[in-house]
Amino acid sequence: MPDKVRIRITVNGTRHDLLTEPRTLLADLLRGDLALPGTHLGCEQGVCGACTVLVDDVATRSCLVFAAQLDGSSVRTVESLAGADGTLHPIQQAFTQEHGLQCGFCTPGMLMGACELLERVPEPDREDVEEALGGNLCRCTGYQNIVRSVCAAGRLMADEKTEQSGVRA
Amino acid sequence: MSIVEEPVTETRRWVGQSVARKEDPKLLTGRAGYIGDVVLPGMLHGAVLRSPHAHARIVSIDTSEAEALPGVVVVLTGAAAAELVDPMPAFCAEPVEQRAIAVDRVRYPGEAVAAVAATDRYTAEDACAKIRVEYELLPALVDPVAAMEPSATRVHETLDSNVVFHRSLDWGDVDGDLARAHTVVRSSARWHRMGAHPIETAGAVASWDPYGQSMTVYSNSNFINFLPWAFAGILRVSTNRLRMIPCTVGGSFGSKHLITKVVSITGALSKACGRPVQYLEDRTDNVAANDNVGCDRIYDAELALAEDGEMLGLVLRIIDDYGAYFQFAHGQHGNAVAQPVGPYRIGSLRYDVSCVLTNKVQQGFFRGAGADPGNFILERLVDKAALEMGIDRVELRRRNFIRPEQFPYKIPTGNVYDSGDYEAVLDRALEIAGLDRWREEQERLRAEGRYLGIGLASCQERSGYNASEWWFLYGDEAPLPATSTPESCKIDVDAMGGVRATIGCPLWGNSPETVVGQVVAEEFGIDPSSVSVAYADSTSGAISAGPGGSRVTIMLSGATRGAARTVKDKMIRVAASAMEMDPEDVECVEGVFRAKGAPGTSMTMAEVAMRAHLFNDGTSEAESSGLVAVHTYDHPYFTPPTADRSDLGAFYPMVSHACHIPIVEVDPETGQVTLRAYYVVNDCGTVMNPALVEGQVIGGIVQGIGAALMEEYRYGASDGELETPTFREYLLPSMHEVPEIVLEHLETPSPFTEYGVKGAGEGGRLVAPTAIASAVDDALRPLGVWVDELPMTPERVVGMVADAQGRR
Amino acid sequence: MKPAPFEYAAPRDLDEALDVLAEHGDDARVLAGGQSLVRMMNARQVSPAVVVDINRVRGLDALGVTNDNGSSTLSLGATVRQRTSELSGDVAAHAPLLAEAGAHVAHAPVRARGTVVGSVAFADPSAELPAALLALDGLVKIRSRAAERTVAADDFFTGPFRTALAADEMVVGVEVPVTAGRSGSAFVELTRRQGDLPVCGAAAVVGLGDDGRVAQARVALCGAHQRPVRVPAVESAVVGADEPSPFTEAAARAADGLDPVPSCHGSADFRRHLARVLTARALSTAFARATSPKETTHA
Repeated sequence: MPDKVRIRITVNGTRHDLLTEPRTLLADLLRGDLALPGTHLGCEQGVCGACTVLVDDVATRSCLVFAAQLDGSSVRTVESLAGADGTLHPIQQAFTQEHGLQCGFCTPGMLMGACELLERVPEPDREDVEEALGGNLCRCTGYQNIVRSVCAAGRLMADEKTEQSGVRA
Repeated sequence: MSIVEEPVTETRRWVGQSVARKEDPKLLTGRAGYIGDVVLPGMLHGAVLRSPHAHARIVSIDTSEAEALPGVVVVLTGAAAAELVDPMPAFCAEPVEQRAIAVDRVRYPGEAVAAVAATDRYTAEDACAKIRVEYELLPALVDPVAAMEPSATRVHETLDSNVVFHRSLDWGDVDGDLARAHTVVRSSARWHRMGAHPIETAGAVASWDPYGQSMTVYSNSNFINFLPWAFAGILRVSTNRLRMIPCTVGGSFGSKHLITKVVSITGALSKACGRPVQYLEDRTDNVAANDNVGCDRIYDAELALAEDGEMLGLVLRIIDDYGAYFQFAHGQHGNAVAQPVGPYRIGSLRYDVSCVLTNKVQQGFFRGAGADPGNFILERLVDKAALEMGIDRVELRRRNFIRPEQFPYKIPTGNVYDSGDYEAVLDRALEIAGLDRWREEQERLRAEGRYLGIGLASCQERSGYNASEWWFLYGDEAPLPATSTPESCKIDVDAMGGVRATIGCPLWGNSPETVVGQVVAEEFGIDPSSVSVAYADSTSGAISAGPGGSRVTIMLSGATRGAARTVKDKMIRVAASAMEMDPEDVECVEGVFRAKGAPGTSMTMAEVAMRAHLFNDGTSEAESSGLVAVHTYDHPYFTPPTADRSDLGAFYPMVSHACHIPIVEVDPETGQVTLRAYYVVNDCGTVMNPALVEGQVIGGIVQGIGAALMEEYRYGASDGELETPTFREYLLPSMHEVPEIVLEHLETPSPFTEYGVKGAGEGGRLVAPTAIASAVDDALRPLGVWVDELPMTPERVVGMVADAQGRR
Repeated sequence: MKPAPFEYAAPRDLDEALDVLAEHGDDARVLAGGQSLVRMMNARQVSPAVVVDINRVRGLDALGVTNDNGSSTLSLGATVRQRTSELSGDVAAHAPLLAEAGAHVAHAPVRARGTVVGSVAFADPSAELPAALLALDGLVKIRSRAAERTVAADDFFTGPFRTALAADEMVVGVEVPVTAGRSGSAFVELTRRQGDLPVCGAAAVVGLGDDGRVAQARVALCGAHQRPVRVPAVESAVVGADEPSPFTEAAARAADGLDPVPSCHGSADFRRHLARVLTARALSTAFARATSPKETTHA
């Protein structure tokens, strides 16, 4: 077996210093070694987008990246979104409000893709959502409510911001 | 049968509302517990080596190098697995045996030839790569028509012919109707094989206890509380020593009813090493070998009409390519004869079906389950009749619709349609589509040399199947002539008044928890969010056929309402006893038990519950302590088939209906079809939860867009090799292919079900393919194109245009 | 499926990377964006013994225009992401065809990792970027431990997934000459589904003379042959045109002599048909862009 590779990687804010086989895919590192099962593998070919996570704030197919490549990187998964007290992230709130999910298997990839988009484009329209999530496949919803959810999330987050600044003022 | 008597004036608080989905938080946070998330101490990981060939004899298998690899615990060939597990359960009468790992011969590309369990999946796959298999190639049967030839190589030596099943049935005077018809419209049609392809593949974790001779299996299967003995049979475990545990399922669309091959392989590996083993199909395993393949049909059809356009009789001759095995028999035709005549008053039907075996993965089930191509051919014939007879396609449909006062309506095969108002649906669809505006747009674009088309289809969605559809096309030889398709729910109210429902069906991507919450809330007048819902494993005694055939909301609401009412009635008796009243005078309103009409004295849920649990002082006669009820809801309206099958009985009688109007633009040079807009009016009886129904319908429509334009299994014409093994070749629609879909509901409640609900799970996919075909036709009418094959890939569209031009 | 085992090298400078290639040759594969390589490794269609991750190699991520003796060149290093190229002002100004073709490649998250040079080196006969590079008369910059050479794109692509690259060499960048004058370009394609590899695509660059007639044209196709390919017969036939109607007749020759790789998405005949249709469309759009003041672009 080839030598293991040492990586220092931050996942959802927690620092890890680990040895990994060169061939370990990021998705498998997350699901296996780090016990974060929220990242789902749908095709292992980069086609379906279910395994999308943020690597240094960029939406990335975790089935097409070796963990060994990520020494020094910071990764965010779906587990980073909701609060430990049970408070859903506004993106998650929007998905439940707009019925943007059914079986939930593609959902973590959709949420993380949406997360990147909303950090770039705070109030996206349908075209923005298609550009960001057009490569994420969903077999249940027919997408219409996913688009609505992401747009609604933008509005929710904007409202939250207004409220917060209102409180500060 | 029983007709549910529902006061028309009944006001409902929760049924009919877009109640927030109970399932969402766990799904949104990555903690739903899918099969891939199951981790047991000491668990190994499986991988499967599959045949690259469509048809071959296995000359030899050398596993020595694989076994020598560090981390590899077990390597099983088909022969070794046969020592541990039995063949798949067969619903067919014919001698077609299928094992999860092939023995001696592979019959389709992707058939398993060996399986490995190792310390991790990577190592298991390394081992697969080191297994040496020597094959002797046999002729690959790819074309079903060629496979029917008596001289063709047989897929199974146990059969006399590759035509594994043939039957022709007449209902009504078909020949008479053909003879007296003014016009007989003929059409052939080709519906290629498509697959369900949920984003989560099938998987299982099996844990064999060699000392107790018992097995625990986690899986994303469905029938664990319906046919658990079938799993026990394959795994060679006593039925009462097998525990099947459901997991949250990442989509199924019919593909995960049994997943017996996956369960069998996982169970065999666990038995071989006495340790827990997890096997998850990868995408190629799933595409190549899962039983998620739908129909693969060639139609030769005729519709006989009188001079005024009255539809008289229908002839459907079908060749259906079943692939290499026949595990589920001709079930998809049992399904299709629930609604072969659609929403029309067609008096006679000839149904002539030949099921043919070839070297492809066997058919399983996929949303629509046989009725999908049925709607395609029927609506194609109706459009063609309109064209040939010079009657407007809308008018022709109007003239032939079953009228509202004719329900319940018995169709020629014997199935019964419960209720509907098809013309109202059609009218409303035409209205919301703004047809005149689109006709103007069509004219405008034609002047620019562009091709816009307006589609139309009015179709049925039979829902709530009964098991008779699996076998009634057989005569006495049917191996399992079951007549029950039940669903159960257990409700218990704990001593503090907390309500818990336990259901036998798994979470398949639909919303059983939400539905149960709504029904319990409706019955007790409490908030649905306060109801907790759990999933039963196979040791609970729950009986559940689960999701499938658009049944689960119908059946689960019936089961839940029954259990809730039993518990509520007992609570009324307990409360009445405590308040020294006659139970007749006590009601439960918003979770409070009080005197009817005089809400002075009252008891809360908790007060009544505590009394029922811990203060059973004998005041309520013959009542035991506690508050628990199980209600099993059997099919609400089933009649058995006659012995001669001149009447198949009522087996799929809750019939939803929809009218779809898609707008497409076609580029005849590149063959690209683009959806511009999509309008739907849907009638699925009482809408339990509008948001959820809308989600089901729109999701189904988008699968229908896939069926119309892109989804297809393709096999090499000469070698039978699978050309579409990944999502790069087998294409699912993406966000980009979907237009804004405008959806409205009409409600004609079912008289057969609780609350009047009908099914809504398959309708989108049952209607969209044929509606889009009619839109492409309409677009290319100036070029003389007639669509008779799906999917309409760019190459096919260009070919159709060229053929039409060549005919001119 | 999961990849087979391999040794992982993550050199910090180019010489170190070239050393690994020199040592392992065909047993090594260069990993840049990995959006094709890792997919193929997952499917075990390729199982290199050594993977050379060049993402940390200094100096390979440069994108810019250089002037040399009056002629300008747009150059992109081996780790320039497709997304970076697509959104780059320099690319938009000097090689809009590259940006337009690039926007068709897969989806944004894939382009955010995938590299322009990686797509060129991978040499998928259906891919957009190699065809764009051909139509732009691009150059491929190649290095090995021993030598450095520059190959014209037309000589670089030799077959399906085959290039002129030797086992110890790697592509370190691509270059596109920047030209002055009135010109327009266009990329059109047919995909089965947006973001998929095209069944067929056409890239065209049209340069106009002072008289407003086509002075020169370059057309390259993907999905239409064993490799991305130029169609000189069409290119010469449209010279002199002062309006788009001759393009269709010229494009009828676009598929002459081509030998497309058939797949489940399109037979060889269908690809030849598309080559003709799309060539005409690409030329028309490129011509319109060259002539329309509003859409004037420089190729």
